[in-house]
Amino acid sequence: MQPIQDKDFDKLFKDAFADAEVTPSRDLWSNIESEIEPKKKRIVPIYWLSAAAVLLIAAVGILIYQQQNTAHPDKNLANNRTETVKPVVKANSIKDSTMVAPQPVEKQLENTLPVVTKKLSSSIVKTNKTEVKPEEKQRLATAPEVQKQETLTAKVDGTQQEIIKKKIEEAIQEPKKVIAMVETPTADVINENDQSNKGIRNVGDVVNLIVNKVDKRKDKFIQFRTDDDDSSLSSINIGPFKIGKRNKK
Amino acid sequence: MKLTRSYTINDLMEGCKAGDRKMQEMLYKQTASKMLAVCMRYAKDRMEAEDVLQMGYIKIFQKIKEYRGDGSFEGWIRRVMVNTAIESYRKNLRSLNVVEIDEAYEQPSTGFDFGTLGMQDLMKVIQKLADGYRMVFNMYVIEGYSHKEIGETLGISEGASKSQLSRARAILKEEIIKMEGFGYATYTG
Repeated sequence: MQPIQDKDFDKLFKDAFADAEVTPSRDLWSNIESEIEPKKKRIVPIYWLSAAAVLLIAAVGILIYQQQNTAHPDKNLANNRTETVKPVVKANSIKDSTMVAPQPVEKQLENTLPVVTKKLSSSIVKTNKTEVKPEEKQRLATAPEVQKQETLTAKVDGTQQEIIKKKIEEAIQEPKKVIAMVETPTADVINENDQSNKGIRNVGDVVNLIVNKVDKRKDKFIQFRTDDDDSSLSSINIGPFKIGKRNKK
Repeated sequence: MKLTRSYTINDLMEGCKAGDRKMQEMLYKQTASKMLAVCMRYAKDRMEAEDVLQMGYIKIFQKIKEYRGDGSFEGWIRRVMVNTAIESYRKNLRSLNVVEIDEAYEQPSTGFDFGTLGMQDLMKVIQKLADGYRMVFNMYVIEGYSHKEIGETLGISEGASKSQLSRARAILKEEIIKMEGFGYATYTG
């Protein structure tokens, strides 16, 4: 029984605890397990939810973009076509009508004239044979009238032809006008692009620049008027929903 | 414990790295009682020790990928457990008015016999120590930290660590004497 040195005292404790074991409570593992599990359950869904949300937004964005790209340029193209093609169609139809219309007239003339002359000649022959003068006179009097009528109708036909020719000419000239009309808006867009490229003075310019790069349509997804230093929203075009000053035809 | 002998501790380590729940359970079953003994030394009672044990294992499963194989796997687990215990102590550092100086015991001049004292008795006297003393004693005597490391870890000076260790020893000795029931004429606790 001697005073114990610190070193020995410490060693006694160290040895005593070196292989010490204390059996934990039975339910401790299930506690740990439940602590690990809900964390995994909580963390993973948040990641997945956020990932799913990002994907959903991206998908919707792509869908809308594609719809606008496929449906809208088609509309634009269709409009352009109708506008540019219409005159051509008109010209064709008119040409067709002119090609078709004068022919019957000529045929009619050809058909009708001989018949009349035949009738006249036969009637003349008849009158000569029967020698009924008043009748002959009547016939003779009527014949020139008929002939005159014939010539008159022919003349009328001639004027009709002229009218048709004029119409054709007008029709041929028409498309030029229409093309000019179609071109004006595209020229506007180019001008606007130029305007937006002039320089970036404010947020509106930045937005316009980006939208111009991304959205090549006439009606941009969003457009700012940047005349002044303050930019103001001038037009919006989200598929069916449109606001803007450039919706005029 | 004997049920998991078919797996080496390294097998379990690899399984835990892969996040295998069965392997995690086996590792727990194989090491938990040793680790609870560690936690008990740092805790006031069994409940507190089991709380630390639980936190420690969750940390082990989370950080297992950081184990690079330097030193034994069990040693790594033990270090995580000790760190968890210290962290828990620091978090619960309500007021570190450890023990008033006048409360500190004089070191008994007499020796005594440990022969009849078991590990559980020593555990009891350690758990009776004030939190700060218990930390310093465990870290220095059992874990082998230097006073400098203890000072840095607990946020106290090296000198404070030394003085707290000597006081802890004194208290432990007195408690052991009480426990042993040795009647020393010279001792007047």
